[in-house]
Amino acid sequence: MKLLRKEYPLHLMLVPGVILTLIYAYGPMAGLVMAFQQFEPLSGFFKSEWVGFDNFTYVFNLPDFNQVLWNTIVISLFKMVLFLVVPLILALLLNEVTRRWFSRFIQSAIFLPFFLSWTVLGGVIIELFSLDGPVNGIVKSLGSEPIMFMLNNDWFRGIIIGSDVWKGMGYNMIVMLAAITGINATLYEAAEVDGAGKWKQMIHITLPGIAPIIILLGVLSLGNVLNAGFEQILIMYNPTVYEGADVIDTFVYRLGMFSQQFGPAAAVGLFKSVISLGLVSITYYAAYKYNNYRIF
Amino acid sequence: MKSSKTLKTILLLSMVMAAFTACSSKGSDSASTGTTTPSGETKTETAAPEGPLTKYAEPVEVTEVMGFRPAEDPRTPKGLTPDKNAYLQQLKDTLNIDVKYKWTVPSDQYEQKFALAMASGDLPDILELGQKDFEKLRKQDMLADLSEAYEKYASPELKKYMESDGGFSMKVFSKDGKQYGIPSFEDPFLSTQLLWIRKDWLDNLKLQPPTTMEELDKVAEAFVKNDPDQNGKADTYGVALQKTLFFWGFDVRGFFNGFNAYPSVGDAQTAWIKGNDGKLVPGLIQPEMKQGLSMLQSWYQRGILNKEFALKDENKVVEDITAGKVGISYGEWWYPAWPLNLNVDKDPKANWIAIQIPSLSGPGKSLVPKLRSGRIYAVNKNMKNPEAAIKMMNFYIEMGKKKYTEILKPEKGFVYNWFNPRIYNPAQIDTIYTEVNKALAANQTEITLDDENYIAVKDVFNYVKDYQSGSTKIASKGTNWGGYFSRVAENGGWGLTRQIKEKQAFVSNEFYGIPTSTQVEKGSQLDKLMQETFTKIILGAPIDEFDKFVTSWKTLGGDKITEEVNAWYNEQAVK
Repeated sequence: MKLLRKEYPLHLMLVPGVILTLIYAYGPMAGLVMAFQQFEPLSGFFKSEWVGFDNFTYVFNLPDFNQVLWNTIVISLFKMVLFLVVPLILALLLNEVTRRWFSRFIQSAIFLPFFLSWTVLGGVIIELFSLDGPVNGIVKSLGSEPIMFMLNNDWFRGIIIGSDVWKGMGYNMIVMLAAITGINATLYEAAEVDGAGKWKQMIHITLPGIAPIIILLGVLSLGNVLNAGFEQILIMYNPTVYEGADVIDTFVYRLGMFSQQFGPAAAVGLFKSVISLGLVSITYYAAYKYNNYRIF
Repeated sequence: MKSSKTLKTILLLSMVMAAFTACSSKGSDSASTGTTTPSGETKTETAAPEGPLTKYAEPVEVTEVMGFRPAEDPRTPKGLTPDKNAYLQQLKDTLNIDVKYKWTVPSDQYEQKFALAMASGDLPDILELGQKDFEKLRKQDMLADLSEAYEKYASPELKKYMESDGGFSMKVFSKDGKQYGIPSFEDPFLSTQLLWIRKDWLDNLKLQPPTTMEELDKVAEAFVKNDPDQNGKADTYGVALQKTLFFWGFDVRGFFNGFNAYPSVGDAQTAWIKGNDGKLVPGLIQPEMKQGLSMLQSWYQRGILNKEFALKDENKVVEDITAGKVGISYGEWWYPAWPLNLNVDKDPKANWIAIQIPSLSGPGKSLVPKLRSGRIYAVNKNMKNPEAAIKMMNFYIEMGKKKYTEILKPEKGFVYNWFNPRIYNPAQIDTIYTEVNKALAANQTEITLDDENYIAVKDVFNYVKDYQSGSTKIASKGTNWGGYFSRVAENGGWGLTRQIKEKQAFVSNEFYGIPTSTQVEKGSQLDKLMQETFTKIILGAPIDEFDKFVTSWKTLGGDKITEEVNAWYNEQAVK
């Protein structure tokens, strides 16, 4: 209690955030009861019929569900790994750049697409990879036949993953760069005295130094393993690539919005959340166990 | 220990705050209900109004929601919003009704926004509904019975419209003698599929308008290979098509009709035709479809279809049409009014004509629905003055009369399609056709007709006059031509449709009920399966995929839907 009195301004500052979380993250959870109801919008939560796990059986037995689940996992796993590896490489490289203005410029250039919305970017990417687009211009100049990237299941997934990583990599890169700056400079000096080159310094000082951050980013992203990027895919996909790019979220979107089957849609949502919670718990525990690292 | 204490305090604090917010919201709730009840009571006290257009003594407030498109007329004042629509002021002056919009959104967001409004139960007094939502709300007993209000207050014109099809459409939206909705229906022949083709390209290549699929195939190929626009570049393709195969335009409904296949009435809805045994069968899975699909596949290979049609929405296709890149499109009567007019404005040589769809053996039969009703107007059960909705319909029809010509100017902020409930004359298109042609034949300089159709007829008459004299003072050449060729020309959009109607060159879609329960449940799955399979076949997958599709379609719910549709047909169809 004494501590509280001393730090009350800090706690006060926390209050708005907590309230917002309660309203927007915890409040809507009440809506999950829909997953167990034959939900009729106008009857509301109280008058809709309870159907137990019927919605779940219905959804899991839909012929597309396995395909959709598999697509979601593949796409998001690729995204998760690349979202750690690519920014890490970029951060390590940028850290070695000695000219500050150059490093700043590159940082901004990489970070910029993070702020663009998929609504805009989706259109740009479709144009870029279209039959007469610049990418096919290069393909043609190399003497190959033009490729229909957006209509081809083999290419489309790659484009989804690649463009999302390109768009979002700046964020993690900045976080990692900040972590690198936080490493005690005396360690490097000591290593130099011991005769370690740039490479050895990176392996033995920089990487271990930012390992906690990498683990943190990894743990946080694991919660998203069933989020493969709804907005992006919705804007960019088309019937020919459903096979490889239809994910849980686009599936639920069609179920909820177009067929107005709110019950099954909520059931899939709950299913996603339960899996994510499990995954986060496991990785969190693993990180604690093997790396002695805790967030809380 | 320390950290757990802080955690506890945070939790405590947040719980206190939550309790506070809960209390305050409760307080405001009761306050607001407190204020609405008395005003509601005063409403019921108003003296009972008598005629179709009698002004209320006390102002009556009516709530609505709206999805709106930009105003069509370029003379509309800039920055005008739907709640400032001059129709509303006129309505207030005429009937003392205040329209309040709960929300207005651009029309492409309407469907979602309305689904959310339904999910939260926050519905306005007057509802503009699709068939599906209508049925949903009716089942949940949310709609008012309008029988009495309609009997008492509907104007003679409104009644005339509703009886113009023998009361068929009204009957579809009633149950047990209670009228739950007033449909804004139109002549179903407006859906007739025509083939729009560039006559100037045909002439350049010395070809005749095609009458069979074989000839169409040759013409379309020539449009790709033989430089129909004679600009020396291979920059044209044959047939316009956008990614949704069965849509409201630039799709392949009419194309399949040419193979005696009747897959869809548009907007991804399956068509149901009468089979040999008198039962209804889904056109989508009939063997005739196969031949059509393999022709589309061959068209795709030969570049007659755009290589990337599967990525193009209607806007992209319209861009191609406007830019003169494509010379053939299947579609309804209105194409000249949009988007062909854009092409005419860009390229004065462009000369589009309409022809009856080709089939395997000469001109073919288009699918025509039994009922064409996009919008149904219904009233919330909780509305105090349901007759206000009927009066507003009377009002909109009344505003079409000649005496309002000087008032109803777009520059004064009148935007017709921002007003609801809006009921048109179901035979309006035919009235325009006959009246304008009559006036032209008699060499009149003005329309003499004097009823509620006056303004609609006059507008088209002016287009035609300007088109004939070559005047572009009011509208561009393309717009004038479009007004003329869609509605008035003998071989234009509606003119040709009339001929097809007379010749009985059509097949009926027999199912017009509300979607069955399995359709609601499985519809989007089956639609996805169809889009995926058909698109892949067109792009080159083996044609036998179609047989697999038929089997899956049946097992995934199609068979059950067929049963339900036939049950409906036996019990409820208005025959």
